[in-house]
Amino acid sequence: MVSGGPPPARRAHPDADLLDTVAAGALDWIGAMRGSFRLPADVTTDADPNLTLKPLGELAELAQVTQALHPVAALREAAADLLAFAWKETRGGELFVELVRGEPVATYPVELYGVFARAGLRHPGVEELVGATTSLRRWRVAREDHTRTLNVLNAERRIGLPPHADFDTVLAHTGLGLRPEPWALDRKAAYGITHDVFHATDWGRTPGGLPAPLAGYLRLWLPAWTETWAEERLWDLVGEFLAVSACLPGAPYDLAAWRVLAAAQAPDGAVPETGGVPPPGASPGEAFTACYHSTLVAAFAATLARAAGHPDPPESEATP
Amino acid sequence: MAEQAQQNSALSAAVADVANGVALALDGEGDSYALSALLAQEDTVALAAVRVLGADVLAPYALRGDPARGSTDRQVVRRALAAYPPGADASDVSLWSYRGLVEASRAFLPETGADGVDGADGGGRDGEGGEPGAERPPEPRPGDAWVQTDPWPALAHRASQLAALSLPSLAPALAVGLAARTDDLARGFVRAVRRRDWLQAAGVGRWLVRAPDVPDSLGLAAGLVFVRRMSGSDPRVVLHTTAAQRFPGGGPW
Repeated sequence: MVSGGPPPARRAHPDADLLDTVAAGALDWIGAMRGSFRLPADVTTDADPNLTLKPLGELAELAQVTQALHPVAALREAAADLLAFAWKETRGGELFVELVRGEPVATYPVELYGVFARAGLRHPGVEELVGATTSLRRWRVAREDHTRTLNVLNAERRIGLPPHADFDTVLAHTGLGLRPEPWALDRKAAYGITHDVFHATDWGRTPGGLPAPLAGYLRLWLPAWTETWAEERLWDLVGEFLAVSACLPGAPYDLAAWRVLAAAQAPDGAVPETGGVPPPGASPGEAFTACYHSTLVAAFAATLARAAGHPDPPESEATP
Repeated sequence: MAEQAQQNSALSAAVADVANGVALALDGEGDSYALSALLAQEDTVALAAVRVLGADVLAPYALRGDPARGSTDRQVVRRALAAYPPGADASDVSLWSYRGLVEASRAFLPETGADGVDGADGGGRDGEGGEPGAERPPEPRPGDAWVQTDPWPALAHRASQLAALSLPSLAPALAVGLAARTDDLARGFVRAVRRRDWLQAAGVGRWLVRAPDVPDSLGLAAGLVFVRRMSGSDPRVVLHTTAAQRFPGGGPW
């Protein structure tokens, strides 16, 4: 099962109150909205996986990080409860047996199962099946999205399967590995970079997992990206950038951006993906779609920043 | 309102004309440059355009000094300075811009004995290159604490507004201060391009080309080409990007 022990004590984060308020509010909202994460009966057939499996997998991935790393026991417990809920929704992993049988060479069932396997939540039938499917030459055919391939490699590692490609070689071909001109980043490329980092650091658990030149590249340009997307009020991406910052050695802390993100959080804890919170009268479904990912990301980013302990002085701060 | 809009439009057109002429001169026709030749007529709009572009109106002289030809232009500059002095509540940027034009005139168009001769057909008659009654323009002492204290977005914005002061030998203290914040200026370049603020990006780029230790990953040279093309070859952007090419490096450090 999941490990529940508190992380080792470190020097307190100077912005702990703000970070804990963001994380607690976000987990409250996610907890209140958990019904919207429930999988429909037709999840393996007709339902849109982007509205069913994807949110549940994200819930499991990000709640797991909070459950493992947050220094506040109450928040770890709330996150553990959400992770247990997600596993229950997969019927203890039986869902993945059905998904792999339905699409034997699709990567997403393996990627999703890997999230739970990382937490020690396993199903022998799934492992037998994916042992057969992922040993095929077919499984090693290159995929067009290198960032996604990193996630597949991570899932293989988590499940204990042999890696189908070399992680560092794939990373070198991603939008992060190629270190593109920082001014040429669009939204899609930005999400690619944040996920390259999450995969390379096992979602923030191994901050040293990034090659030094890539960490240096991010340290240099994250302040500019965080600022410009905060100006556009794209809170989802701002949250991901703040999480990335906490994945770097020394965890540089962008105090101004955290203030802005915290201000975008609604009183009920929801963080809108973009712009303002859904207006009063919005249906729960609309509110869920508009806020679930960014709210999960806010809890995740706040957890990583908090768990990193006392940060380095921010790169972007004016010299006195 | 309509009259104001008309004046603004006339000023924009005059600024574009002068910027275009300066950029062309920097691109290889500096030998024949004359600011006075770029001004359709020397009216208040033309003098305002000179003040808007600041030291850049004399940038071609920084490539090739030609004091004899410059006498007329020195007087044009002097009239522009006199017509639009900084107000009592002028911002630091406004004061620096004014001072930059004063410094550029002194640095690139030093007064010579030839001025008296030149003055016979150029308007100067006092043997000092000035007009009758024209006093030396005041040299304000603008604040520069912001170079150390501004958060990077504000710093880059101000630096861009003062891009003309990146010309060689102007405002050396400002250049040294900004060189100490190269990473922050580089972040400002990123932000400006992301905002499609091509003028700001090009202006910041001018400081960056002469800064030490610009991060390789910025891709500055490609960035300046990108900005120039994306701006649709806006004359002020082209002026900045051309100046960035013509005056690379060479800082006082």
